[in-house]
Formats: sequence, C-alpha cells, structure tokens
Amino acid sequence: MAAGVDRGDAARAGQHVFLLPEYLKDTSKKMKSGLMFVKLINPCSGEGTIYLFNMCLQQLFEIKVFKEKHHSWFINQSVQSGGLLHFATPMDPLFLLLHYFIKADKQGKFQPLDQVVVDDVFPDCILLLKLPELEKLLHHVTEEKEIDKKKYYKYSEEKTLKWLEKKVHQTVAALKANNVIVGARVQSSLFSGDQVSNDKEEDYLHYAHGLISDYIPKELSDGLSKHLKLPEPSTPLPNPPSKKPKLSDEPIEAKEDYTKFNTKDLKTEKKSSKMTAAQKALAKVDKSGMKSIETFFGAKSKKKIGKI
Amino acid sequence: MESSDPTIVGRQRVHLRPATLRDAAPVTLHLLPCEVLANRPAPVERFFTPAIRQGPDGLQVSFRGRSLRGEEVAVPSGLAGYVMVTEGKGDGLRKQDFSESLKNGGDEEQEPLERDFDRFIEATGSFSRFTLWGLETTPGPDAKVHGALAWPDLAAAIHAQVPED
Repeated sequence: MAAGVDRGDAARAGQHVFLLPEYLKDTSKKMKSGLMFVKLINPCSGEGTIYLFNMCLQQLFEIKVFKEKHHSWFINQSVQSGGLLHFATPMDPLFLLLHYFIKADKQGKFQPLDQVVVDDVFPDCILLLKLPELEKLLHHVTEEKEIDKKKYYKYSEEKTLKWLEKKVHQTVAALKANNVIVGARVQSSLFSGDQVSNDKEEDYLHYAHGLISDYIPKELSDGLSKHLKLPEPSTPLPNPPSKKPKLSDEPIEAKEDYTKFNTKDLKTEKKSSKMTAAQKALAKVDKSGMKSIETFFGAKSKKKIGKI
Repeated sequence: MESSDPTIVGRQRVHLRPATLRDAAPVTLHLLPCEVLANRPAPVERFFTPAIRQGPDGLQVSFRGRSLRGEEVAVPSGLAGYVMVTEGKGDGLRKQDFSESLKNGGDEEQEPLERDFDRFIEATGSFSRFTLWGLETTPGPDAKVHGALAWPDLAAAIHAQVPED
C-alpha cells in the first residue's frame, strides 16, 4: 500500500473508521503490544473472518461493518470513499470454540482441548486457548472427564441448547431495553403510529434467535428453534397497502439515488430504510427474525474488512 | 478473502500499535450522502467547512451544488472513534521499535506474537462525534447509521456470559 511511503496527513490509500471499546485506550498504557487483527473461522458461515484479539486482556472482539450505499467520509482534509464504519465489540469465544467441538464430535470421544481446537486453514485459532477461564466456559457446552489431572471434553448438544436458550433470553432483554422494534407490525405502524410497542414475546424470541443464529451453524440454529418451540416463520403477510412506500418510488432517477435515505416517508420503516426496491424483502427478513444483524449493517458486511 | 497469496491466508496478523490509540489527534469527520469514488486529499477546509451554516432544522451546506442537511452524531458512550491506516511493508524503523518493546512487555508467550510477514495498522486520528449529512433533509433518528450505533449494546447482551444453573 502506498500509504506507508507518504506519511502526510491525507495522502493515504485506505483510512478505516473504527469504533473501539473505550477501555482499550486505557489498557494500552500498560501494554506495548498484543492488539491484533487475526483471521479466524466464522462459526456460522465457515468462512474466514477478521477478529480483533487483545492478548494483554485476553479478550476476543468481533468486527462488524456498517455499509450503506452512497456514502463517503470527509476525514480532515481528505476524502475516503465507501463511508464504512467498523465496530469492534466483545465476542463470546465460546461460539468459536463450539465450532471446533461440533466438528470433533464426529469422532464421538472425549478429547483434550488442544486436540479439538486445531485448524490448518486458520492456525491462529490456538490463540483461543490462551483465553482465561476456558474450563468454566466449556462447562456450558461440553461433558468433561479428568484422567491423570488432564481434562478431556466432549460436545453436548443438550447442554449447548440450554446455554443458547439463556443467550436468547438475555438478548430479548436487551432488545426490549433498547426499544428495538422486532415484529411484523413495523410495517403496519406506517399507518397507525401507536402500534409500535405492541411487539409480542414471540416476536422477540424470533428476533433474538435470528441474532444468535449468526454465530452458530445452521443445524444448531434449527435445533435451537425447536428447543425454543418457535413456530415455523409464518409466510409474510401480504404487503400492507403500500401507499407510503409508493411515494418514494415516484421520484426521477437522480432523486431516488440520493434521497432515499432521508425521505420522510421512510420514517416508520425503522430498520429497513434502505433502497425502496429492497424494502419488501427487508420486511420479510424482519418477520422471520433471521439474519437480523444485517438490518444493522449493510449487506456485505464481511467483504471489505479483509483488506485491513 | 482477497489475499492473493494462498500461503498467507489466515496466517497474517495485523498488529494495532497500542501507543497510537493514546496519541491520535482529534479529527473532523463528515459522513456524506453520496459516493465520492476517490481516496485522496481534498481541500475540505477550503470549500466545505466554511459553507456550513446553522439552519432552523440543523446544519446546512452544499456539495456539488446539492443542498445537504446535517446533524451531529455522538459516538455511543463506552466507545471511542479512531481513524486507522495500515502501513506498508518495510517500515523498518518503527517495526524494530516494536519488536524491542515486545521483549520487555511480552509476558509468558512462547511464540512471538509478531512474525515477519505480519502487517501493522495504527490510529492516525480520534473522534467522539461526527457530522451525518442527508440530502435536502436531515437524516433523522431513523437513519440506518443510528441503528448500527445501537449494535454495541445488543452485542454486549448476545456475548455476555450466561449464569450457571
């Protein structure tokens, strides 16, 4: 990258806008190294994904990217295309460890940790083994045996489902605390503003299940759905009379390109104030509760991060 | 993902220089409602900043003849904003400093954290707020970026440890 050559303020090929936990700045006083971005497996998709490791505090962070069409940054005296906003938020390492335990479970036996967490493609997975209180964490998802003071572990689906259920419930609490609108009524609230708070418990469970499902493989997500006794996602209601969305379909090409994000008509669309053409699709997503994380970010949240 | 060398995939680490988080000078950020297909210096202070006015419904400015309305957005509490830049290879001096300090600071790691083929990233600026611009109207509370700013709170709940039975 040419950036390293010219250390001038603005002549940089890639500037990344990041939001980090504030305490990383304070703890960095004591540490001279140990904050690093590494590529590990994404426990949901199985693809390589960038995570941030703090070797000093022994913490794992996931990176999410906000990306919406037609944005750019002015950063001091420079312009940066894309308008990406990166978030680093603490991640429960158990989701990643779980991936390896499920994989190892095919052999159906108790194994020591360092034989479970091995990965030729993403060798940095061994960093996970340095995290503190691993044994306590693993207790949530594995059976264990101790032979000659060495611990052996085996994946337990039953325990894992119970653990995930607790995750779902604490996520539901956060959704409520943050007033996130989770139900199908997001759409109908277009027409009567007072229904917004009528989200049902089931909608919250669906939504939380969708959020958690971004961290576990599909089979486990299905198992969790059964465990929570969630009904199959109902087929989306016929689109409510789409007067309002129509309005923003009208404008001429250029106007549509630039105004769709701030058109007042989209006010009640909450999480889906994206392209008007995509609104119906997004509404469906909201109803099923799946892939909900994507409603916070752009569609291709993982792509650019590989360039860091 | 986009790495061209298959032997590097998954092996390269990008080290963030912690000291730069402390030293990063404040930067001014504007998030524009349009795509400028360039990454380069721009005389923002000459053309953009002096044109910003406080209007009845937020900030006003124009860019390429289009009218923009803006609002200040604060970084959520508990978070800090940084602008980061990756360094090219061959930043010899800086790299040496880093290895040096690693010897002193690195505790009981058997394997060095930093390897020859690793890269480095550093914070060049910090911010606690930015200006969010919309075309003709202010983006308002339903702008997608506000939804994204609620993410850290939800993430905290998803990833918090669950109580034992």
